[in-house]
Amino acid sequence: MDAKDILGLPKNSITQEKKSRPQKDSQRKPDGISREVYALTGGFPPLIPAIEASQLKKRPPSDEKITWQWLPFTNSARKDNLHLYHWVRIVNGVPPTGDYSFAKYNKMWTKEETDQLFELCQSFDLRFIVIADRFPSSRTVEELKDRYYSVARAMLAARAPSPGDISGHPLVKEPYNVSQETERKRALSMVLSQTKQQERKDAEVLAEAKRITESRMVARGAEESELPVPSNAGPESAERAAIPSDTVSPSANVQHPSAAVAPSTITVDNASILASLRMLRVYLRTYALDQMVQAASSSAGLRTIKRVEQTLQELGVNLKPRVPTKAVCAEHLELRREILTLLNLQKQLQYKEAEGSSYRDGSYGDTPGTPKHLSHGGDQDRIFVPDMNFAGERIGKRDQKRKAPGRLSEAPLPAHKRPRKLKAADL
Amino acid sequence: MINSSSSKQVGQDQQATSEPRSPRPKIKMVKSEESDKRILNKKLKDVEISIPIVYGNVSFWLGKKASEYQSHKWTVYVRGATNEDIGVVIKRVVFQLHSSFKNPTRVVESPPFELSEAGWGEFEIAITLYFHIDLCDKPLTLYHHLKLYPEDESGPMSSKKPVVAECFDEIAFPEPSEGFLVRVQNHPAVNVPRLPTGFTLPPPVPFEDANRKKRGDTKDHPLSQWFMNFSEADELLQLAAARQQVQAYLAKLRRQISMIDGQHQQLKTISDS
Repeated sequence: MDAKDILGLPKNSITQEKKSRPQKDSQRKPDGISREVYALTGGFPPLIPAIEASQLKKRPPSDEKITWQWLPFTNSARKDNLHLYHWVRIVNGVPPTGDYSFAKYNKMWTKEETDQLFELCQSFDLRFIVIADRFPSSRTVEELKDRYYSVARAMLAARAPSPGDISGHPLVKEPYNVSQETERKRALSMVLSQTKQQERKDAEVLAEAKRITESRMVARGAEESELPVPSNAGPESAERAAIPSDTVSPSANVQHPSAAVAPSTITVDNASILASLRMLRVYLRTYALDQMVQAASSSAGLRTIKRVEQTLQELGVNLKPRVPTKAVCAEHLELRREILTLLNLQKQLQYKEAEGSSYRDGSYGDTPGTPKHLSHGGDQDRIFVPDMNFAGERIGKRDQKRKAPGRLSEAPLPAHKRPRKLKAADL
Repeated sequence: MINSSSSKQVGQDQQATSEPRSPRPKIKMVKSEESDKRILNKKLKDVEISIPIVYGNVSFWLGKKASEYQSHKWTVYVRGATNEDIGVVIKRVVFQLHSSFKNPTRVVESPPFELSEAGWGEFEIAITLYFHIDLCDKPLTLYHHLKLYPEDESGPMSSKKPVVAECFDEIAFPEPSEGFLVRVQNHPAVNVPRLPTGFTLPPPVPFEDANRKKRGDTKDHPLSQWFMNFSEADELLQLAAARQQVQAYLAKLRRQISMIDGQHQQLKTISDS
């Protein structure tokens, strides 16, 4: 109130709001149905009444006597003589006449319709698209074709002296398959109406499928020690899967990163990458290395990958080789693999040491030895301490490292590992 | 595909040079031709041609002559790693500059494949290599970040000593056609591996490029004094040393693991008894 004074606003605005709200409320009360049900339909009165309110009340006509009977019926649309039963509404003791009400939905061809079809076929020279347009009752092109070919086949069979005579006739040898044709045309129209994005996605999927078949082919080839031709198998199988569309982008070497397929062995991994590289016709060495590194680390988690990179740095190796020749890249890749093995073995060792302590004590209680084993922080995980940081044992010189690589590995490592070893021996 | 067409050609050549020209029953000929094709296909697959290149830029600060919008004069280029003529494989190079440059798409039709400009900003340049059509019909694009300013920002800028940013890479052709091999077999800019035994190439056809009035190699290029050295040997040594260390540690770990396994076995037998 005071605030309103200060601001100089009119005082009666609140009372005005209160007045308007009850008016709105009473307007909303629905008529004939509960409020909750009314709310289900949107909560507002319909624009046009769907059913006359008067109709809702007075239905049964007084002069008619309605009973229901469980009676058998047949369906003219069926070819078998199936007799089923259903409830039938009897008015004044007279059951309804006429065929089963749903039979009319069966696509029946009358003689009249068939004659019309054949007339059109003759005048339009079997151009079914035109015939379909001119046909009086709406039938699809496939339906018309189906009717025409089946009638023609029947006539041929009837007029032939023996069934063997006509077995070579295309009408008999390759009968028109309606469902197949409808499906084919539907698929065609789908491909035609694909958006650019869908096209791209399809191309990616096909390329991926190609790569997978590639890797399988190469794997099989490696076993049989014979290199198969890769390009033929891929497109054929891809074409069988979908209607061929040359949607692969012809622009400048599109080397999109594709996720490495997860195979069972490392050799198959590499082989699939090599196969896909061969398909490129030209590529950069750094790109190839990148792909192979990705494939090699595909089985490892992010943390492991970071640890591999950390180890590389400790070893004084560039994460990306400065002179990436074929030989250098091969060495680099091998080094990465060896480091991965190293990290896995380290983990294995840790687990075994933990197991060992549980054997010794017969319980999982804390022993002086074990927590220290497992509580290594990130820093203590360092396997290879770079020259510069290692104070005391060796005065780090780059030349020394190069001259005698073997020696370096021995000096810092035992010093680093000694506390661990003592603990294990103590227990 | 280039490969299939060339292998057909090779098949025929093989017939002409190595086999005596005696008439053969048709069936036999087809068989041997097919097996020849398969062998040659195989062989061509194991042969990968690579061209070591260096791409990057050299940039000079214009010193007194520098203006606000033109503070540096720079040259972006692609050269053979050993400064040999890469025009044997590359037909032309397209440098795509920042849109603020006039006609940002610069085409260089003959080696040395370089482009000089003046500016103030650093940006990414797309370098697209187009090869001779009969060697490879697919272009390859490299990306280089133009470097004008030195790493050490505190030091004084010198107009005499340029800022150099170079990157080494190799262009690999995994399945070169026979014609490709013939063209480059003894060229210093191209690495051709040793061909499989028994595989002989026909003698090279002299290749005249009409565009070649000036020499394509960069050995005596005015900027060659600033070119960086990329030594494969140094890196190989470094990697070998690292691998040795890792392998030694691996051996150690394996010993430790087997030792512990032995201990566990002992403890198990003790606890079981």
